[in-house]
Amino acid sequence: MRAQHIVWNGQSGWRTKGEVGDPSLVLYFGTREALACGRRHEELRAMYPAAHVLGCSTGGQINNNDIGDDEIVAAAVSFAATKLRLCRQEICDAHRSRDFGEALGRALHADDLAGVFVLSDGLNVNGSELVAGISKTIGPDVPLTGGLAGDGANFQETLIGADCAPRTCIIAGVGFYGRAIRVGHGSAGGWDLFGPRRQVTRSVGNVLYELDGEPALDLYERYLGPDESKGLPGSALLFPIQVYDLQRPDSAVVRTVLAIDRDKRSMTFAGDVPQGWTAQLMRGNLDRLAAGAADAARQARSGFDAKHGDPCLSILISCIGRRLLMGQRTIDEIEAAGAELGPDTLRLGFYSYGEISPHAKSRLCELHNQTMTITAFAEAA
Amino acid sequence: MHKLLARQIAKATNEAGSVDLEKLFALIADAYADVDRDRRRTDRSMSLMIEEIDTVQRNLQRTVIERTKELRERDAELQAQNMRFAAAISHMSQGLVMFDSQTRLVICNQRFLAMYGLEADGIRPGHTLRHLLERRIANGTISCDAEHYADNVWAMVKAGKPTTRFIELNDGRTIAIDNQPMPGGGWVSTHEDVTERRQAEMKIAHMARHDALTGLPNRVLLRERLNEALAHVHRGQRLAVHYLDLDLFKNVNDSLGHPAGDELLRMVAERLCCCVRDTDTVCRVGGDEFFIIQADIGDITDAEHLARRIAEAVKTPYALHSQQVVIDVSIGVAIGPADGTDADQLLKNADMAMYGAKAAGRGVYRFFESKMDARMRERRTLELALRNAFDNGEFELQYQPILNLDTGGVQCCEALLRWHHPERGLVPPAEFVPIAEEVGLIVPLGEWVIRQACADAAQWAGDACVAVNLSPTQLINKNLLPAVLDALASAQLSADRLELEITEAVLMQNSEVTLRVLHQLRALGIQVSMDDFGTGYSSLSYLRSFPFDKIKIDRCFIKGLGQSSESDAIVSAVVGLANSLNMTTTAEGVETREQLDLVRRLGCTDAQGFFYSPPVSSRELSMMFTKRRKVSFAAA
Repeated sequence: MRAQHIVWNGQSGWRTKGEVGDPSLVLYFGTREALACGRRHEELRAMYPAAHVLGCSTGGQINNNDIGDDEIVAAAVSFAATKLRLCRQEICDAHRSRDFGEALGRALHADDLAGVFVLSDGLNVNGSELVAGISKTIGPDVPLTGGLAGDGANFQETLIGADCAPRTCIIAGVGFYGRAIRVGHGSAGGWDLFGPRRQVTRSVGNVLYELDGEPALDLYERYLGPDESKGLPGSALLFPIQVYDLQRPDSAVVRTVLAIDRDKRSMTFAGDVPQGWTAQLMRGNLDRLAAGAADAARQARSGFDAKHGDPCLSILISCIGRRLLMGQRTIDEIEAAGAELGPDTLRLGFYSYGEISPHAKSRLCELHNQTMTITAFAEAA
Repeated sequence: MHKLLARQIAKATNEAGSVDLEKLFALIADAYADVDRDRRRTDRSMSLMIEEIDTVQRNLQRTVIERTKELRERDAELQAQNMRFAAAISHMSQGLVMFDSQTRLVICNQRFLAMYGLEADGIRPGHTLRHLLERRIANGTISCDAEHYADNVWAMVKAGKPTTRFIELNDGRTIAIDNQPMPGGGWVSTHEDVTERRQAEMKIAHMARHDALTGLPNRVLLRERLNEALAHVHRGQRLAVHYLDLDLFKNVNDSLGHPAGDELLRMVAERLCCCVRDTDTVCRVGGDEFFIIQADIGDITDAEHLARRIAEAVKTPYALHSQQVVIDVSIGVAIGPADGTDADQLLKNADMAMYGAKAAGRGVYRFFESKMDARMRERRTLELALRNAFDNGEFELQYQPILNLDTGGVQCCEALLRWHHPERGLVPPAEFVPIAEEVGLIVPLGEWVIRQACADAAQWAGDACVAVNLSPTQLINKNLLPAVLDALASAQLSADRLELEITEAVLMQNSEVTLRVLHQLRALGIQVSMDDFGTGYSSLSYLRSFPFDKIKIDRCFIKGLGQSSESDAIVSAVVGLANSLNMTTTAEGVETREQLDLVRRLGCTDAQGFFYSPPVSSRELSMMFTKRRKVSFAAA
């Protein structure tokens, strides 16, 4: 397996670093503004005519130890023994996210399926349902990782390109087949719980109406203050929420806000917020968020034998909420993760509206929010 | 250098190595702004959180205060309830004891301790059921294996169902123990002394199956015993059922009163019990009816012997209220399984046999025969017809003239009752009179006879008397005297033209009452004659006890006149006796001239019989009187 590092910017166009041979997959990440015209896709298509080309819009791109908003980062990857299949599915109704997930999973399923990497529209989908649908059809033993596309802090429109020009309302997955491929994964948050525990007193799916009988949006506006409230829904990412079933503390997941409805005083999250569950606000501490990223990297790396060296390629998908909170210090988490993954792995990624990875404890694949989620790839010799 | 500043400088440095200060300052300013925003956000969230936590804490405190108050109130209420509960438990009439799931004592009341003679000091919560039992064994209130007993109780409790059981204490008390399992595995027991209740129940149970007057088993127990006995009748074995009915017992009640009747029944019961074996059962099933189950008889003669013994025992005179009373018993015997394999059939057949005995003249026993069934049905039909006959005017009186042997004139006519049954024709009195006696028709029928006889006699030319037979039942009936007076008055008949005939049997029973009535009748001027003399006991004491006007010598002696010297001697003796007592004599059943001559020669004053005239209707008699008024029969 080999990976070629590719970067595009307005001044220099596409620049590549390293040799890749005959790549079968190109992954790319860029801002919505940079991708929306579709030319970048065509250029990549022309550069790597035999490869599947998969990418998405972001809330910022991770480029080894740097974070940029102007460049497009990409990797062309060739495999020695691993076969790939790329499938995509149009999403016409977010309420049928599970059905679309099942359809995608069925399209990718095969006996020798060894891993699935998924990119999804970040706004027009219920991520929890989507992941549940894919997991159901590919089975619990196939690692499923990936993320939901981003749109900076704008929450307007997210794009997916999967052997097509990037556009909205798409989910796409690439399946890795055969016994050679190694997929490592890790996911961690590092957020601190704070404030009283609250009960989800009214919710429908991923729309939260009330906590302890009080409109959820009132609570967020109070905590954000009048200035930052203007930045909703993006500013709500500063206070993610952890929800769990009191009877099953293992069920704890972090949820991040995708949209708000000021009239209904409701908030729409990237995954379900079940009624009756317990919720608690979270806040970030820069050091502990960076430590969380390092933890995710350790988990991803743990699947690789030290004698085989560093993974060839690591895809880092971190939540936009982390970047909004950490500002210029966001690089701290990139560096922390990079230190764990090792110097020989190409580290690319993006800031997302949701992360997909097996749960660190339950091993069940879930949608995460406000985490750093890392997928590391290598191919056995 | 701070790594952020190093990063900012690196970012502001171009490829040639020169630092773009403007860019560097902008980055630094942004970083400051980030820190400021973060600090403000942190401050705000911290103060809000503190506020929220403060509110939560205040709410919590308020809740704690409210809950504490509630708990105190509830505690006080619980204490009050406990006191009420303790008071209620200690004042319970039952003993109460509660055990936990380890069979350890939780609580017991004073009544429980007192019931089993336990000292409060020696019994404490935590003691096991077995310990309590051992204490009771030690003080002698119970005899049992404590471990076995406790295991039994525990098994019942574990089964989770309430149980009630009764135990007998060594001192004879009966205790009802009710065990009620409780949620959590323990149980509560109530102990109630039910000795008196049990005794009362046993008494009631005894009363339900025994006759209160005699203490003998009643009909309920009779059936049980009979069914039992039948169940044990094996191949070749037999049992006998004797159905006893005292003859004319009603007369005892009517003349001597019910207390005397009850006393007689008790005496009869005692005698019956003396007649049977321990394995036999004597029952009283109604007024004067008894049953005896004679179990396991070897032979029919065993039953026959018992029936005879019973008859003898019962008819032996009784000293009742300083009077001598004689009573007979009719006995019907059915043999099981030949006469019936179930109780109903056997009782029914014994009943039928008893009626057979009654029909045979009372005071006898009869074994059941299959033809009795038909006879019984016939008798029932007759009984029904008899009741209707009265209303339908099917009765008629005929009269047989009695000839005065001195004057040759008709001195008197004896009224004889005839029943013209619409289908059967003329029914003999011997057939229907006993039925009339049994069903209580004899009194109204007798009154009708007196009234009709008086009315008929009033129509006759001349002054011949009319003689009417009185049954023992009529004589002890309180209404006899008024009825006779009414009949005489209605017919405007002089009392000396009415003659009442009684038999010895009348005097044999309740002679005191009977004599009083006879004296009253005679005081009115009515003549009283002794009928059928010589057939019964012929006790001279009867003749002495009442000044009869006439003795009627029974036809059996007249029939033997001229053929047996005994008959001649008897008639002669009776005539002599009557003369000396100032009584006239009537020879009954004179059918030939020879008999007429003989009775005249022996000194009889009157003669009655077919030789002179059969019974005739009142109309024929009237004609006879008119026609022969002047004719003397002296030469006849």
